[in-house]
Amino acid sequence: MKQISLTINGKALVIEAEPEKPLLWVLREDLGLTGAKYGCGMALCGCCVVHLNGDAIRSCVTPVARAEGKTVITIEGLSRDLSHPVQQAWQEIQVPQCGYCQPGQMMSAACLLEQKSSPTDDDIDDAMSGNLCRCGTYPRIRRAIHRAAEIAATQGGRK
Amino acid sequence: MNDAIISRRFFLTAAVAAGGGMLIGSTLRPEMLGAFATRSRVSDVPLNAWIRISPDDVVTLISSQSEMGQGVMTTLPAVLAEELGADWSRVKIEFSPTMPAYRNPRINWQFTGNSESTTGFFELLRTMGASAREMLIAAAASRWGVKADECFTENGKVIHKPSGRSSTFGEVAEDAAKIVPPAQPKPKPESEWKLLGKPLRRVELPAKLNGSAVFGLDFSVPGMVHAAVKQSPAHGGAVASFDKSSVINLPGVIDVVPIPNGIAVVAKQYWQARQALQSLKVTFDDGPNANLSTESLNAQYRAALDGGAWKTVKTEGRAVSGEEMTGKFAAVVSQEYESQFLAHATMEPMNCTAHVTEDGCAVWGPLQGNELTQLTLAATLKLPPEKVTINRTLLGGGFGRRLLTDFVVQAALVSRAVGKPVKVVWSREEDMQHDVYRPATLQRVTAGLDKAGRPTAMAHKVVSPSILQYVFAPAVTEDNDPSCLEGLMETHYEIPDQRVDFHLLKTGAPTSVLRTTGYGPNIFAVESFIDELAHRAKADPYQFRRGLLKDERALKALDTVAEKSGWKKRAPKGVGRGIAYTEAFRTHIAHVVELSVANNLVKIHRITCVIDCGVALDPEICKNSIEGGTVWGLGVAFKSNITFKNGRTVESNFNGYEIAHMFETPPIEVYIVNSNTKGMGGTGEVGPVTLVPAVANAIFAATGKRYRSLPLSKHGLRIG
Repeated sequence: MKQISLTINGKALVIEAEPEKPLLWVLREDLGLTGAKYGCGMALCGCCVVHLNGDAIRSCVTPVARAEGKTVITIEGLSRDLSHPVQQAWQEIQVPQCGYCQPGQMMSAACLLEQKSSPTDDDIDDAMSGNLCRCGTYPRIRRAIHRAAEIAATQGGRK
Repeated sequence: MNDAIISRRFFLTAAVAAGGGMLIGSTLRPEMLGAFATRSRVSDVPLNAWIRISPDDVVTLISSQSEMGQGVMTTLPAVLAEELGADWSRVKIEFSPTMPAYRNPRINWQFTGNSESTTGFFELLRTMGASAREMLIAAAASRWGVKADECFTENGKVIHKPSGRSSTFGEVAEDAAKIVPPAQPKPKPESEWKLLGKPLRRVELPAKLNGSAVFGLDFSVPGMVHAAVKQSPAHGGAVASFDKSSVINLPGVIDVVPIPNGIAVVAKQYWQARQALQSLKVTFDDGPNANLSTESLNAQYRAALDGGAWKTVKTEGRAVSGEEMTGKFAAVVSQEYESQFLAHATMEPMNCTAHVTEDGCAVWGPLQGNELTQLTLAATLKLPPEKVTINRTLLGGGFGRRLLTDFVVQAALVSRAVGKPVKVVWSREEDMQHDVYRPATLQRVTAGLDKAGRPTAMAHKVVSPSILQYVFAPAVTEDNDPSCLEGLMETHYEIPDQRVDFHLLKTGAPTSVLRTTGYGPNIFAVESFIDELAHRAKADPYQFRRGLLKDERALKALDTVAEKSGWKKRAPKGVGRGIAYTEAFRTHIAHVVELSVANNLVKIHRITCVIDCGVALDPEICKNSIEGGTVWGLGVAFKSNITFKNGRTVESNFNGYEIAHMFETPPIEVYIVNSNTKGMGGTGEVGPVTLVPAVANAIFAATGKRYRSLPLSKHGLRIG
């Protein structure tokens, strides 16, 4: 066990964990943040995507030690009140079906919009093709990302 | 308690709720109770309520149906709210316990599946809603001393039209509960619908957008411990030996527990259990299927098709067999079609939490098969069914997999062994390699043609393992499984002589229900074959189908998809269009796929789909479902494939078992034709059914190459 300092959803924490334990299971089991999901354990499906210092990473294969001194944002930290443009757009377009993969989809989408405020369909394909959805909501995800870009532009960027 | 008979199967019941308010429920007639025959109809009234109206005006619908993305938490309460005239913002949903009263009236069994969440309950719910409305009105009218027919309901109030006087539902609910339910309540005509037929915001969506939604994997109870499992790598094998001491001292480990076909490591945290499982010394006996492989299965299918015993399951007209057609028609055409094994691969792997105590067993999880699960656990734990409580979380996909009980039984057995609540979570590898697969099928279709090349006789032979064996055993016999024949028994094509022969194949590969069930492989064969006949006759595949159809709904779906896809406009050079039509799950559906192929790379330009599901209670939810089904179909057509070697499933994760990605998904347009007929159809499973043959037909149109076996990756094709 090792002490690891990190910031999660704006809160500075010192946690005790096996350094090799994947960030996903630290979030879910040690911190009670169950929004990020387990889907494959091999960085193949994207259900576990969270932001680490602003990058969209696969928390199922990221040892928690790699988050030392860094900032983690999970779906719970995007906003609780659904005010983030991605959440607003997902709500407006009624994207989810079962919803299990959507936290990962939304975190990938939020990261894309941070990097490209007005992504093209090709940008979306590039950024989102590592996120699987078994219900097949891709057409709506694509629409929702374009819509989130519009919302963000009207609001003058992220809240 | 007061009751009225509303159907051959159900009594409608009404009672005063504890703390005031009103309960409306339904109870099966005693002769329908089956396994529950001893339960008193009277004593379970408060428990079998479908509707609760509280004194504070909240209307609660108790739903027997699980939410797995099909929107049932929104559409079913909307049916109720519509009939009641309730305030939509004050309607809530709760999941029901497992009791006969909550059975699907069509099948007399409690489960979520077969595209019936809405269609199976619509009539029952609107009847109950209408009944409750009439009782609320009667109670208010009697209190006011006015005529009931001068009153109506709106926004959770009973209103007396002439005087404008009103009472909230909560104020009159207790009085209403004392009234005998009307024997023939009158549901509202569609023209008066305010909620139904329009898109509503899905009620469970906000929780799915901020991480607060609770799936099975997210569920916890105090004192819960965690288990990771390893099942016999070979299907049908078992643990030969294990050494508990190899892991018992590892961090967090509590116990090692044998389960029916494997072993579970129990620890304080799941990650600890998972890590310890990797270090566990365990050996397996491969059992009777050690030599099972894709090659051995192929040989078995081939032997069955060429020389197996046949059960003739459908005969129409002269019912000529394929072999007898020679010389009797202007021409005879015969082709074979092959569909592959498929995994459910729900994004949420199998998991379940169970707590077995001296008093009984409670489970919590993402479950579709409420009643089967209850009865299976009761039999396993030697408990009366009522001591087994089935609680449902949200489901991270279902597609039929969660009708089965294997993972639930594991959780219960491990909990009993350690005396604590336990959550069992399967790794993705366990989930994929211990799935119960959509069975592969091998089919031969033979047609006798007239001089114009139109089929006047069709004979269809199907070889398939069982679909229903594990989920609805009573329907399966030694040589028949009705689900394997879906789409063949009730075709709309007007062909005078028809015959279907079936061979129920026994294999070592575990097979069960998966989205599209028998319709998927059968309609791939039928719609590919019809397309081949059209091209052979040098006819337009759309017009050729039209010429074989009389059913108005079929023609409307086909005509609409042709119109919306621009079928009649000449496709650009190199672009091929494929069309397919069927009725499945009581919905008429047609797809047109437009694509081009270069160097085996398939560029899909556009997909158009039309459905007629009778009445779309929520058109947006229906569309989302059909879009998703279409995307699912792209995976089936091009990529998804389960194979076997040495008794084992080869694919273990999403690198080996591929599903469609975002970049492979073209623009998809979905149009709903509401024929407003009484036969409402489902939309959960039908999407992939016509997409797959439409893809194969489009590839033929674009390249002149006909592919008759799936997935297309076998032939080197991929989406680019």
